[in-house]
Amino acid sequence: MTRSVIDPITRIEGHLRVEMEVENGKVADAWVSGGCFRGMELVVQNRTPEDAAQIVERICGVCPVSHAHASSIAGDKAYGITISNNARIIRNLLEGAQFLHSHILWLYNLAALDYVNPLNALQANVDDAYGLALEKGLALHSDLNQLYDKLGAFAQNGQLSIFSGNWFEADGGKAYVDAPEANLILTSHYLEALKMQARASEMAALLGGKMPHVMTSIPGGNMWVPTESKLDDLLAMAIEVRDWVNDTVLPDTLVLAELYPEAMTFGKGCGRYIAWGVFEGNGWPYGDDYIEQMKNRYLPMGVLDEKFGVTDVQEDLIQEYMGHSWYQGDDTYTSPYFTTDPAFTDYNVDDRYTWVKCPTYDGKPMEAGSMSRIFAAYVRGVPFIKQNVDAVLGLLGAKPGDLSAFQSTLGRTAIRQIETMYVADLMVEWVTELAEAIKGGDSEYFRAPERTTGEGSGFWEAPRGALYHSEKVVDGKIEGYQIIIPSTWNLAPINAKGEHGPLEQALIGVPVEDIEMPINALRTVHSFDPCTACAVHVTDRATGKHFETVTSPWGVK
Amino acid sequence: MENQATMSEFDSILASRGVSRRSFMKLCAGIAAAAGLSPLAVPRVASALEESVIGATSGDLYPVIWIEGASCTGCTESFAQVETPDVASVVLDLISLNYSETLSAAAGHSVEEAKAQTIKAGNYILIYEGAVLEAFDGNALRVAGEVGTTALVEAAESANAVVAVGSCAVNGGWMAAAPNPAQALGVQQYLEKVGVATPVVNVPGCPVNPEWVMSVLVDVVVMKDMDLLLNRLNDFNMPGDLFNQTIHDNCERRGHFENGEFVYEFGSEEEALGYCLYPVGCKGPQTRAMCGVTLWNNRRSWCVQAGAPCVGCCESNPHNPGDNWVEVNTPFYKRMRDLRIGPLNLQPTTIAVTVTGLVAAALVVHGFGMKASGRMDGGAPFEKIRKWDSKHPQQEIGTYADPVTGGPVLDEELVHKNADPRNND
Amino acid sequence: MAHLAHYREAHPLVFVITHWINLVAMVMLILTGFLIHFPFLPFLMGIARGCHLFFGFVLFFNCIARVIMAFFVKTSPTGGTRQQVTDYKTWLPQKDNRHQALEWIKYYLFLKKDHPLGAKLGVPQKISYLLIPVLIIVMFWTGLCLWGVTMNVPVFAATTNLVGGLMSMRIIHYFMMYVFIIFMFIHIYLANVEGFEPTKLMFIHKEHGGLVYDPDLHNIVGEDHDVH
Repeated sequence: MTRSVIDPITRIEGHLRVEMEVENGKVADAWVSGGCFRGMELVVQNRTPEDAAQIVERICGVCPVSHAHASSIAGDKAYGITISNNARIIRNLLEGAQFLHSHILWLYNLAALDYVNPLNALQANVDDAYGLALEKGLALHSDLNQLYDKLGAFAQNGQLSIFSGNWFEADGGKAYVDAPEANLILTSHYLEALKMQARASEMAALLGGKMPHVMTSIPGGNMWVPTESKLDDLLAMAIEVRDWVNDTVLPDTLVLAELYPEAMTFGKGCGRYIAWGVFEGNGWPYGDDYIEQMKNRYLPMGVLDEKFGVTDVQEDLIQEYMGHSWYQGDDTYTSPYFTTDPAFTDYNVDDRYTWVKCPTYDGKPMEAGSMSRIFAAYVRGVPFIKQNVDAVLGLLGAKPGDLSAFQSTLGRTAIRQIETMYVADLMVEWVTELAEAIKGGDSEYFRAPERTTGEGSGFWEAPRGALYHSEKVVDGKIEGYQIIIPSTWNLAPINAKGEHGPLEQALIGVPVEDIEMPINALRTVHSFDPCTACAVHVTDRATGKHFETVTSPWGVK
Repeated sequence: MENQATMSEFDSILASRGVSRRSFMKLCAGIAAAAGLSPLAVPRVASALEESVIGATSGDLYPVIWIEGASCTGCTESFAQVETPDVASVVLDLISLNYSETLSAAAGHSVEEAKAQTIKAGNYILIYEGAVLEAFDGNALRVAGEVGTTALVEAAESANAVVAVGSCAVNGGWMAAAPNPAQALGVQQYLEKVGVATPVVNVPGCPVNPEWVMSVLVDVVVMKDMDLLLNRLNDFNMPGDLFNQTIHDNCERRGHFENGEFVYEFGSEEEALGYCLYPVGCKGPQTRAMCGVTLWNNRRSWCVQAGAPCVGCCESNPHNPGDNWVEVNTPFYKRMRDLRIGPLNLQPTTIAVTVTGLVAAALVVHGFGMKASGRMDGGAPFEKIRKWDSKHPQQEIGTYADPVTGGPVLDEELVHKNADPRNND
Repeated sequence: MAHLAHYREAHPLVFVITHWINLVAMVMLILTGFLIHFPFLPFLMGIARGCHLFFGFVLFFNCIARVIMAFFVKTSPTGGTRQQVTDYKTWLPQKDNRHQALEWIKYYLFLKKDHPLGAKLGVPQKISYLLIPVLIIVMFWTGLCLWGVTMNVPVFAATTNLVGGLMSMRIIHYFMMYVFIIFMFIHIYLANVEGFEPTKLMFIHKEHGGLVYDPDLHNIVGEDHDVH
């Protein structure tokens, strides 16, 4: 038995450590540790819900929009506001732009390097690469000859830049399949993806001023007011991204599945899923029926058990346990709650080992993420999802409707592309919808609060899964704030019953050949698209007086 | 370990990875052939790679280590949106980004090794994103089994310069906002505290604008002159050309400000007309940055253009985490009227108007008193003798008609002298 | 007619002019300052800011000129006399005023029936006037910290830094304006409540007869009926 540790996990957001017990070439036990504590909920105390929406989005630079929206929804509920239809469409557009940005970046620039070796592409025959692209239906947006020369010049210089670390030699050189032509094409998509994720962000910037950390979404609606020229820009970009996505992402994923079939055999996880739903539906408004609102989202809410049976979310079944994390006490708290204190002890996998708390739903660990959303949408019968999931299942050689075929590292990686394509299509649709609404004379984007005291919870989705913000507002000032982030679900430590969190469960059983470079473990981690900066945060005891720092214009004492 | 004397350290690394030297040479041959190198160049590339896992330790690319402290990765994300040139060209043609938690292909030991070797080779720049955390003896941030501050100091000591990107790296950012639970502070302050003398370049913003990072890199990477960079810095060690003017100075809505055309409600018609956002809390007039000139995301837009008032995310005094942008600028959507002194949150306008009102009222009341006491016409009669003089007859100040009861010294000559000094002498 | 005679020698023409400049500059600064802070007449924004800057410099240089002239121009040390000393001496503690501070305050609070004997400037008056140049310099300084052209001069940048940023600086600058306003209220009130003769002298240099005071004897010596 040997220990294998990956710390830091790269190509994610934030600081993450994975420690694994390896026995007979497989992971026997695993502990996931989130490495950074920042204390977001304390900072928003006693500030306005509008300020909170701006501040909390800074919890994460990859999915800021989702945090701004979850917070805004919580603020809407606390303030008693139903946002206008135009504001709903604009929020969808803003959120969609971020989903596209995040998914493209994640697939190509974060996860793909687990499967693609750009240095191997140097051994490719460019003519053969064109042949392969035609044969497999891979997108050709770039000049492969030019790329080949660019890589050659890079290699000639000898400095390895982001390819430093000799990682491509993992698992005795067998970790990466020697397929230079495929690598060349996928490297071209890696580079295109860097531009496309930037283009998707550009849409978010058009709507939100800048990206990351958009500026226009606040409780009550949106500050952005469309003009013809902005709508035109938006439409052009939405079409550009959609066309690239539809051409590129799915064929690439199928090539990966062909090259790495074994990645379909491990990394299942806990097998239970949560999705709170995202992109408000076009039957707006839904009045006070929050469940109806969440069920009518373009990607609807759903809690799935082991047999994909779906139920509606119940807020009071969401709990957080502190016993293995660096917080005071071993208590389990029921949401919404506003009372925990950080307390670092020591890194000890038998006791406390992470800054991430342990959330459970109905006492069980749950997986959040794109796979959860697609499963929920499939079970709820969203037409696009149903059709495309069945199609992909067919391509992977599984029976239509057999969702369990996705329950693996590569399955989790692959299924996200269906969502990327869905959102890419919807973006174009929403721009048109907004244009129609304006044409119909609707010019309302922002509504003022109905009241200044209240409570509200924002159930929403970040690209990496179910996101929950809850706040208590008294006289326009926040008295309590709680956040449960998708990666908190996925990276959860061992719970009160001794069950491992979803990622830990997924890691157990993963084959590890080289304990210094456990590539399959990394593939599994990346399939979750973790985001640890936001996974770690803290709520405050009612008194909030534990910290001695005093700020003043004259300095911190 | 079969660590024989004839085996180079690199060979043993390869061996421990299960790679034979032959397969490695084959890889190198592939690289060299692809690059159109003559076969003679193969050993040279191989030897460059033998030196380290980062490949050649020097070359056309400027080595960069990008460390994420307590960050949200937003600045890396932002940097990934750079379009001049695009980020792929930056990391392939301009800099050798040997360590980046978001972009590096390698992970765990391998990437830590790449960092260690880059530090050893020297002549690199450290870009640090996110705050430095001191809470729980630094354990609020743990990377690679150690506390985050250790990694910062190790990488900063040998760097040519440390570029602190984003407001968090400059002074703790939002993490430093009250109650600053993670005890966040900026890179410059921390390095000064622990005695690391490497120059720090501060580039605030939440996130940092990628064009600003590039503008810093240009001095070093393109012009290859560190002094150019250091000479650009202002008192806050920020490039003066980027952070000496306010948002307001270069705002596209400035004309509307001058015309007095304002937005009073979000999402209103005035918003669509691009009127000035000052009444809804814009912090542009007190925030120093070039957002309105540089713009964001491929120069697509910026906060004010999208209709959002500036929240002043570049406000960042590197020596004072308490002066972070969240603390200074909240509430974001109200015009600022409060003054914070320590735990006190004063409202100067209220205080001032109240005091002024009280004074005015007091004066009116006083006026009635003056009227009632008959002092309105020339005031009360003068005292006959100063009170002090009457109590201290031996040390009198004035000269009186009567040393005990006082009274004016009536003297025509003196009247004449004082009333017409021309006759004085 | 219980007041001292008001002679031009108390306020030579040059100080009448500086006083006029002070009045105009301060009023303009306050008005334009309010226009900038609360743009209720928004079309004047640009003009208001231009005027504010202009009068800021006027007030400052006028203040400096006034202080310098105090060392060259002669003025009366007390009311009711045409005798003159170098002006700055009238700003220092004078024998006429000794031990009278409390008496002045008591007089203002109606705790003392008779008008205290004193120099040209009574004790509280002198102290508050002496604070005005300090206030002007502070206002000028904070103003320069806020002005785009000068905000990056190291010394101003450091001041801004000291008070916690431009926001705090702006609030301080604004807050200090109320100190001026309060001063002006009190000043105008006290200068006129016992009759308009001091104001006429200060603004249009019109003399008025009254009791004659001897700065050497520190007491009233009679009455001047020649001036009306």
